[in-house]
Amino acid sequence: MASEKSWSRNPMGLQLRGILSVFFSLSIVLPLSSPSPTMHNNNWAVLVCTSRFWFNYRHMANTLSLYRTVKRLGIPDERIILMLADDMACNARNNYPAQVFNNENHQLNLYGDNVEVDYRGYEVTVENFLRVLTGRHEASVPRSKRLLSDEGSHILLYMTGHGGNEFLKFQDTEELQSHDLADAVKQMKEKNRFKELLIMVDTCQAATLFSQLQSPGVVAIGSSMKGENSYSHHLDPDVGVSVVDRFTFYTLAFFERLDMYSNASLNSLFTSYDPTLLMSTAYYRMDLYERPLNTVPVTNFFGSVMKTIPTDSAYPGFLVARASEYTTTSAETETARAVLEGEADHSKTHSQSEKGLQNILDEWLKLLEGKFGEKDPDMLVAYGLGSMVLLLAISTWLSS
Amino acid sequence: MMASHTFLSLLLFYLYTLHLVRPIHCSVGSNGFDTTSIPKEEFSEELLLKPLPDHKVLAHFHFTSTSPPSSSNGKHHHLFPKSIAQLVKKYKIRELELSFTQGRWNYDRWGASDPLSTANAKPPGVELWALFDIPTKEEIDATWRNLTHSLSGLFCASINFLESSTSHSTPLWGFLPNDGDLRYGALPREAVCTENLTPWLKLLPCRDKAGIASLLDRPSIYRGHYHSQRLKLRSDRLNGIVIEQTLSVVLQPSDRTSWSLHQLFKKSLTGKCALAKSSKVFLEIEGNLGSQNENILELVGDADMVTNDQHDHSTIYQYNVERYSEHEALDIRVNWKNPLQVSFPQAPLHASRFLMGSGNERGSIAISLQSARNTTKGLYDGSNNCFTRVVIFQVVPWYVKVYYHTLRIYVDGEIRDTKDVVEKINVTPSEDKVSPGTLEMMLRFPCRTISAALTLDFDKGFLHIDEYPPDANQGFDIPSALVSFPDFISRRIYPDSIRSPLLQSYKGRNVVKSYTEVLLVPLTTPDFSMPYNVITFTCTVLALYFGSMVNVLRRRVGEEERLAKSKDKRRPGLIPLLISKISNKVRGIKEDSANQSQSSQPILGPKVVFKVVLIALIAVLGHYFLNAN
Repeated sequence: MASEKSWSRNPMGLQLRGILSVFFSLSIVLPLSSPSPTMHNNNWAVLVCTSRFWFNYRHMANTLSLYRTVKRLGIPDERIILMLADDMACNARNNYPAQVFNNENHQLNLYGDNVEVDYRGYEVTVENFLRVLTGRHEASVPRSKRLLSDEGSHILLYMTGHGGNEFLKFQDTEELQSHDLADAVKQMKEKNRFKELLIMVDTCQAATLFSQLQSPGVVAIGSSMKGENSYSHHLDPDVGVSVVDRFTFYTLAFFERLDMYSNASLNSLFTSYDPTLLMSTAYYRMDLYERPLNTVPVTNFFGSVMKTIPTDSAYPGFLVARASEYTTTSAETETARAVLEGEADHSKTHSQSEKGLQNILDEWLKLLEGKFGEKDPDMLVAYGLGSMVLLLAISTWLSS
Repeated sequence: MMASHTFLSLLLFYLYTLHLVRPIHCSVGSNGFDTTSIPKEEFSEELLLKPLPDHKVLAHFHFTSTSPPSSSNGKHHHLFPKSIAQLVKKYKIRELELSFTQGRWNYDRWGASDPLSTANAKPPGVELWALFDIPTKEEIDATWRNLTHSLSGLFCASINFLESSTSHSTPLWGFLPNDGDLRYGALPREAVCTENLTPWLKLLPCRDKAGIASLLDRPSIYRGHYHSQRLKLRSDRLNGIVIEQTLSVVLQPSDRTSWSLHQLFKKSLTGKCALAKSSKVFLEIEGNLGSQNENILELVGDADMVTNDQHDHSTIYQYNVERYSEHEALDIRVNWKNPLQVSFPQAPLHASRFLMGSGNERGSIAISLQSARNTTKGLYDGSNNCFTRVVIFQVVPWYVKVYYHTLRIYVDGEIRDTKDVVEKINVTPSEDKVSPGTLEMMLRFPCRTISAALTLDFDKGFLHIDEYPPDANQGFDIPSALVSFPDFISRRIYPDSIRSPLLQSYKGRNVVKSYTEVLLVPLTTPDFSMPYNVITFTCTVLALYFGSMVNVLRRRVGEEERLAKSKDKRRPGLIPLLISKISNKVRGIKEDSANQSQSSQPILGPKVVFKVVLIALIAVLGHYFLNAN
């Protein structure tokens, strides 16, 4: 699997890897051949700043910038869990009280009039973070502090702070290890707490943090590879500290051009990072993810969809008599939307002028999935046996 | 048959409901008197501006919402915040006060015994207390736990840290006389910022979109020297629920001699919140200016009414906001001709608290009480029978282990027997990791007392490694102590012509009280790098020692060389061998010559693998298509 993981960056030896991936995909497609029944019907975001102290101002600015972006693209406040480890806006050192900037031009106050911080200060601990992800809270914890996602949720998990090889520091006292994260994600998957999960990490050696992940439906991107540092972008002389990290800065630059309705794909976001500008290599891992990245709009994670069920009346009491009718209408709308989405995906893939080898592979995988998806497993076994016989014949011919 | 039957019954039901509902509709519609007599939900907004002696300005926002005891709409509310009503109902709260404060109220300069400072000066951080309508202690504790979590979610703050028994206490009379159904907790280090103000504003019917609350420009407020945001609610069967939301800010105008509303807040007041019953702005000037009015200050903007309070302590200018609109915004400008010479009313004794001692082992807490310089003579008649009572209430976390028997009281520099001075005392010693120590003490000082001090010794405890906060090196905060003077009442009576909930509330008998400073106690902090260093160094030394010893004792050079030789002769693995065989077959080279070239050319080339996979794929596909046809 090692070669699989690093397929993203290196064009050398792509051919070989492509072939290997066909092999792997044959083995991956078979268990997943039954398509998951739930549609993507809601979005959540968990945004975590794990650093305390004034000189880590930029980490809070990073997180708040992402907060602003996802809010602008349509995720409502009640579906965002914002964790800020320290108070920078009203910090005594802050020359601009109740304001946080991510650029020295000070054009955008990130700490506007409507910020909802769910976990702050001493509450930002590894324990609370894992509790949020896995949903194992005390009974009295209010709804605003819970991640109430379901099997139709797309979750964006953004983390920033100081990290190292396979860990992320929380408040300078605790560490979240890559195994902890992987376990939490696995538990989430088993509890049907997400459909797809995008993990975005802006720390030093960020890529190591998601090396242990093994749950399907997870795509992860980190600001730097193992052994690399992630650097801040620039220093604001008025605030006195660096105000934003490079990776986040260029992520925001990408998103500033977009609105709720744009169709930019995850692939275009992931390939927009220039290593010379970042001074580190943005690394993404997508071997656990089924859909080809160039067909996934970024708004699938950074924006929001809402499940809308048309009802005849605002009060469910009047609907009892029409229960059967109501379910069919909702099912119809969902299928209709699925068709629409499918069409959109197709048109997008066709409109892409350059189709890399990856595209062909994806088409091939789709074809295989289509062909094999409907057959019963006995047929597949028969095919397998047939190919084995062929291979045996070849090998005997060779050894003769 | 079934369908027609249900249709018939539905029709009947519909007719029946029509018949039932109509008379009710008529009675409501025709009898307008009934609807007015039912108490309605009300909301009023007020702002009080008060120049302070050190050229600062106090702005005190006051919003009141009331909900009648039995709402005619059931669970629905018209103006009253639903979240608060649910909170009161669910947790059976009789009274609750939650305050978020940053900065410290300067009792010396900004006043200590007038109702404004007595009621609104709060300790830094978060303070929460609540009275419950619940009989048993266990149930109250459980409710308090849930309440802290709910408030924490509602106000975006870490109020949930007050849930643990180590952080809240049950004062009996030191804070507020009660029957054991009061819970009190304070978080002195809690940050207060926009995210706390926003949910607070969302409780107002107009939020900050219209009316007086629209003045609340976040950067201007948080730039202030002191700000305290408060939510106080009272609920009883008779009056329903009343919530008072106040925000006190002390601002520094850029110009010392003149300031205006617009300059202070960078926003203008363009009319009232349409849902408010009354919307007023007051300007209160301390001291009776009377005829010298014109010599001292010049007011720009016409006041609707100018009055004094009953005892001529202050002058009030009233502005009705409803008169103003977007075309004519309300702006009050004050130009000082001469500096204000009035000193603000002081508490009988000025309280301050500090730490004594050094080191990480022990220390002592001292509370000093200094007589105010300008106390009115009437209260101190100089006779020996006159006494001033002082109530001190302080909560100390368990890791500061106070020895209450070491209480020493000094009056005018001389140590006194505690029996002579202490009238009433209630001590709840702390229990390690279970509950904080609470001290409630009523002292009686002779009126002529100029200064008094009391000291308590303590030992510093050790915390478990998990209990240290991330910034343990900064020290630990001990919440403010409350010093109150039950014999002194702060009240101001304004003429009845001013119908204002804010000024009416100052008529009540409020005991003069003041909070002391927060104490910062440095505790022993563990240095985790030291054991780490020790372990790594020791291990390195041991490893070097044992490694070299074992090397010397066990190593045989000859045998190693033999091993190395035999390794060279070892055959290649199974898979490379297989692949080499295949490649040989494909290329048609004989086995011996291939072995010769093995060293120069790698066997596992991408080409070879590609070919093999291609063959396999063709085979599978061929098989599949043959079967399909």
